[in-house]
Amino acid sequence: MDHFLTPAYALLDFLLPLSFAEPEFMKRAILAVLLVAPAAAAVGVPLVQFRMAFFSDAIGHSAFTGVALGLLLGIHPLLTMVAFGLFVAWAITRVKGRTGLSPDTVIGVFFSTVIALGIAIISAQKGLTRNLQAYLYGDLLAISGAEILWMAALCLAVAVYLFFAFNRILLLGVHEGFARSLGIRGRALEISFSLVVALVVTTAIRAVGILLVTALLVIPAASARNVARGSVSAFWTAIAVSLASGIAGIAASYHLDTATGATIVLFAAALFALTAIIRLARGDTT
Amino acid sequence: MSPHGPSHTLEIRNLSVRAGGREILSNIDADIRCGEVTALIGPNGAGKTTLLLAILGLVPFSGEIRFCRAEEHGQGTPRIGYVPQRIDLDRNAPMTVLDFFALSSQKYPVFLGRSRKSRAEAEASLGKGGVGHLIDRQLGKLSGGELQRVLLALALRGDPDILLLDEPVSGADVSGEELFCDFLDQVHQESRFSLLLASHDLSVVTRHAGRVICLNRSIVCQGATTEVLTPETLSAMYGSGAHLFSHGPADGHGHLHGGEGN
Repeated sequence: MDHFLTPAYALLDFLLPLSFAEPEFMKRAILAVLLVAPAAAAVGVPLVQFRMAFFSDAIGHSAFTGVALGLLLGIHPLLTMVAFGLFVAWAITRVKGRTGLSPDTVIGVFFSTVIALGIAIISAQKGLTRNLQAYLYGDLLAISGAEILWMAALCLAVAVYLFFAFNRILLLGVHEGFARSLGIRGRALEISFSLVVALVVTTAIRAVGILLVTALLVIPAASARNVARGSVSAFWTAIAVSLASGIAGIAASYHLDTATGATIVLFAAALFALTAIIRLARGDTT
Repeated sequence: MSPHGPSHTLEIRNLSVRAGGREILSNIDADIRCGEVTALIGPNGAGKTTLLLAILGLVPFSGEIRFCRAEEHGQGTPRIGYVPQRIDLDRNAPMTVLDFFALSSQKYPVFLGRSRKSRAEAEASLGKGGVGHLIDRQLGKLSGGELQRVLLALALRGDPDILLLDEPVSGADVSGEELFCDFLDQVHQESRFSLLLASHDLSVVTRHAGRVICLNRSIVCQGATTEVLTPETLSAMYGSGAHLFSHGPADGHGHLHGGEGN
């Protein structure tokens, strides 16, 4: 599988002629971040507009149960994780639409139910705990060539989806009734967006882990909101924050021997602090 | 009324809306004709917004809402413009007024930039509404009145057959309110859409509406403004001390003219 990636490795050697980028596993890690981080940040922009941070957190944690199910059933945990994440996203959106309960209530119910199921499975199968580590904290340095290709496919899918749906999603985020009076089919769009978020979240878990995956979606978009006034600059600021913290995090974790995912998130948080300071310096406090 | 008669009518027949096990609206019958301004009045909780949402197809209802278009005006579903009552916009949303226009007018995503056509269209629509200067302002930082005028400009851009305005002056400052209403009068005369405005501001209703529908869960009475809103009815509705600037029956009297209306 890795021979598909040889040209990408050569390009990385050219663009990042630094010591930390030399080993092949580091190249794979960098490629993974270059694919996943901007995809997560791009989806994060409308996600934050929709106030769906808690939703993405619930999907992230559902991955814990998805992995446990995979280990229990003897199916590859990556597959069950993605499938289960998509199922939970669909279920939350449907139940919310049908009951009219507030999103945080529905998500809260699903969040705890799903975690309880995961804990029940794991406690019954003592041997499973070890395998979960890589998913809880992420394991960027152990990513395979096949996973890189999956991430590239995801990145492409997100780009295509956002190309066609971004405007409508953002309008829906401003005011549902108004958007629907303009002919936007709110329910269908909401479900499709939830599924795309679930796909991105479950894929990004391989990079930063269940506990931190929401950060990859939320922090770049939140940083962008600190400094951007328009939609164009907000989007690209979020992408820039995600790429900068991704590359800096990998480099720093290589030299400091810290967990890669956590280091990336810390860099993103530092950029958030920086943008917040810029905002305050401008006197923009509302 | 134009010499050719109305080119379309919105007919509401036996419309009821249930939510949470109780009836919010029951047995509504009303006609809204092209070129007319119809005011929808009633106390808070009377179901004014729900009726607008039912017309928009945003809440499930029983009964019928028919749109009848005169033959010479072609066929097809009506274009309905809508200006919501109050938008609790996220004040920090990174979105300018131009972005907001571009979101609904251009095919490619706004993050790839806004087309020159989007800007020209937005400038024209906003300019018509007298708010052209707001084009590069952040949407969340507009005042209530400014936001309503931006939303109105956007709703009118699609050349609607029917325009629904929910509390068109709530949250607008007084001078903005007058501008808003004058602008509305002007575009309405130009393009003859049906205008249905939910309002509890009687000064707006008497100045602009030709017909009035009084709603309180069901229709209390309807008819020409001059017939329905007589000084006698008004004092019955709002108490003898009430005058035209009274802001609705939030005074605990409720909606009182069920007795003499029918």
